[in-house]
Amino acid sequence: MANEAEETVRKLSMHKGVAGVIVVNGEGIPIKTTLDNHVSVQYAGLMSSLVDKAKAVVRDLDPSNDLTFLRIRSKKSEVMVAPDKDFILIVVQNPVE
Amino acid sequence: MAPKKQKDATIKSRGNLVEDDNLDWLKPRTLLKPEDQEDVPEADLEEEVGRILTTINPQWVADQVAYHYGQGKFVVTPRPTFGKAYPLYIYQGTAIRKDSDEAKAQIAAGYGMVGFDDAGPKRAKVKKSAAEEEEEEEPEPEPAGGDETKAEEEQAAEEEKPEGEAEAPAEDQAPAEAAPAEGEAPAADEEEEGKEEGEGKKEDGAFLDEIIDIKPRIKKLANQFNFCERAALTYNYPRRSVDTQTVPPPRANFGATALQCIIFDYYQEDYARKMKEKEDERPKRLRKKKAKHVKTEQQIHDEKLAQRIREAWAILERLVNQNIYDDIAQDYRYWDDPSDEFREGMGSLLPLWKFQFEPMRCHAVCDVQWNPHYQDLFAVAYGSLDFTNQQKIGCLCLYSIKNPAYPEYSVITESPVICLDVYKEIPYLVCVGLYDGNVCVYNAQLSLESSYQYKSDSVRDKHCNIVWEIRWGPRLIDGEPSFFSISGDGRVVQWAVMPGELQATTIITLTSNVPPIPGPDGTMLTVNSCGSCVCFHPDKPEIFMVGTEDGMIHTCSLKYNRNYVRSMQGHHMPVYRINYNYFNNSIYASCSGDWRVKIWEDGRDEPLFMFELGSPVGDVKWAPYSSTVFAACTADGKVYVFDLNVDKYRPICVQAVVSKKTKKLTRVDFNVKLPVIVCGDTKGTCHVLKLSPNLRVMCKPPKKAQGIDQRTLQILKLDKLLSLVRDPPFQTGVVDEKFDDD
Repeated sequence: MANEAEETVRKLSMHKGVAGVIVVNGEGIPIKTTLDNHVSVQYAGLMSSLVDKAKAVVRDLDPSNDLTFLRIRSKKSEVMVAPDKDFILIVVQNPVE
Repeated sequence: MAPKKQKDATIKSRGNLVEDDNLDWLKPRTLLKPEDQEDVPEADLEEEVGRILTTINPQWVADQVAYHYGQGKFVVTPRPTFGKAYPLYIYQGTAIRKDSDEAKAQIAAGYGMVGFDDAGPKRAKVKKSAAEEEEEEEPEPEPAGGDETKAEEEQAAEEEKPEGEAEAPAEDQAPAEAAPAEGEAPAADEEEEGKEEGEGKKEDGAFLDEIIDIKPRIKKLANQFNFCERAALTYNYPRRSVDTQTVPPPRANFGATALQCIIFDYYQEDYARKMKEKEDERPKRLRKKKAKHVKTEQQIHDEKLAQRIREAWAILERLVNQNIYDDIAQDYRYWDDPSDEFREGMGSLLPLWKFQFEPMRCHAVCDVQWNPHYQDLFAVAYGSLDFTNQQKIGCLCLYSIKNPAYPEYSVITESPVICLDVYKEIPYLVCVGLYDGNVCVYNAQLSLESSYQYKSDSVRDKHCNIVWEIRWGPRLIDGEPSFFSISGDGRVVQWAVMPGELQATTIITLTSNVPPIPGPDGTMLTVNSCGSCVCFHPDKPEIFMVGTEDGMIHTCSLKYNRNYVRSMQGHHMPVYRINYNYFNNSIYASCSGDWRVKIWEDGRDEPLFMFELGSPVGDVKWAPYSSTVFAACTADGKVYVFDLNVDKYRPICVQAVVSKKTKKLTRVDFNVKLPVIVCGDTKGTCHVLKLSPNLRVMCKPPKKAQGIDQRTLQILKLDKLLSLVRDPPFQTGVVDEKFDDD
């Protein structure tokens, strides 16, 4: 499993335009990252609160619904978030020119 | 009552005098006298005048007589009980006289001691005994005599004294007649008393005993005169303050937001727990059976988590790819070459994605096939066609067009993979033929570690040369899946996928026309012709065609393992592919290394069409959407697309996909549902190309019969075309007219 995760992170980070891959555990602590430490921590902290909020929005509209993915498109990059109750996967990608 | 009062009065007056004496120091005593006051000599003033208040009515006539008319004489009027007093109001009270029988009975029964006495000497006696009792209980300041009898006598004497005093003046003042009457009662009383006293003295002990006997039953009547308040003040303990300080309980700040979804979750949890409790209540023996297979909760959780992470990664990867290949995805869906409108009968191929697997850069794509179930998935066999410099390993990959960067599934094989086939019934089962003659079955659902599910390594009669083509066949009688393989050793083998093993059955051994050649030790060796491709009839499962390396095309049947049903010299070089038309079972195409693609009809020795492409043709495939369209790829890197309906002599599209200097195209395959084809080259790259609109023109139904479905139209289209090229040509006109009539 660990090997597989390692492989997947490596694979993903090798894609064109991928700036970083962060794996955040249930407590909001980045456990695997390809970015700088402080950037990862910042991403992890901000994203977990955003994910909580987004999840609350989705769940409050319909309690049987749930948030599955989150894409944040910005001028400079796109952040893709896969939220789960036990982990959060974050991929930061710079758009292809 | 009277004597007592008097005694009280005397005591009081005496007390006053004393008081006066004590006060004479206050002020000089000067008496104020009126002027006209009579002078009285001292002696007169000193004289004591006794004034006595008595109960005897002085006005009362003792022996009053009245004339009685009935008797006719004077009779003495009876003495009224209350003298001259007249009752104005009589109230019958509840009080009874103490010396009455009733009262005695009550006293004897222990009811009430009378607090004061109004009944004279007789009462005094009773009171005395009561006083005695009190004396015993609580000693009073009254000086107690030496013994009880003495005290009693003294008391009696004291009481008699005032009585005597009171009597004396009364007798003085009262008329003589009153005296005896008055005296009688006290005398009688005294006599009684005396008797009683005597008795009392004699029976003193007995009397006391009696009192003591009844004592526990005495109950004091509470009234205003006999009122006893007992108050007790308890000891007050001094106050003390003791302080202790405990360790403060741990505190925590808790804050939460009760969102609707949180409440919903709690309800769900609660419901699940209740269900579980219900489950637990069921009898144990029912549950035990279940428990055997149940994994621990942790394991289940871990597996689920791993699965979730895997899915999340897969989707993330696709998101990333979507960003990278956004323009290609747009083209794939929406871009149709607009120039097609202006060039009638010509089309083009739009290159979309290129699929490469990094470890397989130097390998050739030996086979490529779209998945029959998932339209975006195709399988690729990585092997090597450079036989002088053969690769050591091969690879089986499954690619999805949603993720061009990495294969969805990849497994490295011990030998280069030459061919593959995806099982239609179970789209995750893939059988592959290897360079070393082995055949394997892979299950793409299993994780990467457990590579193949079946391998022919240990099977007898396995191939001893390259397996050139492999095809799934129908299920056997027992229900096991089976597949066929053709190999360079000249045999067609049917493999039965038994549980846990493969079973090989040689269907046919391909004989050649070459006469037996002498071996090194003089024995004659028969030479088999090398099979290079196999193709099953779409409708008749026992009929199949075999192409050989010497260009022969044999039609065989599973029922004959020696002879061919038909045999013909189709090509002059190895036949690489035979492919049946999707709409007409008797039409098939073949391609060969002799640069030619031929279209055949069953039972006809000459091909209906023949195209020369100028380079070895690696693959030819009929289009699934049209009966007249087929594509071929050549070693010089070009893809040819033909539409016989449009042009019977030239391809409608020729496109160079790869540079012919470095790469060759090996295989091509049409997607069943999407207008794309995939072709593989010798450098391990798969190219997905989109067919332009001109390459996929559908039949328009004739105006007379709008309801005909596309498949029928396609069949009619091919039939019409065939009738044009078939020999003898005179049939053509007939069919043509027929069709036109419709």
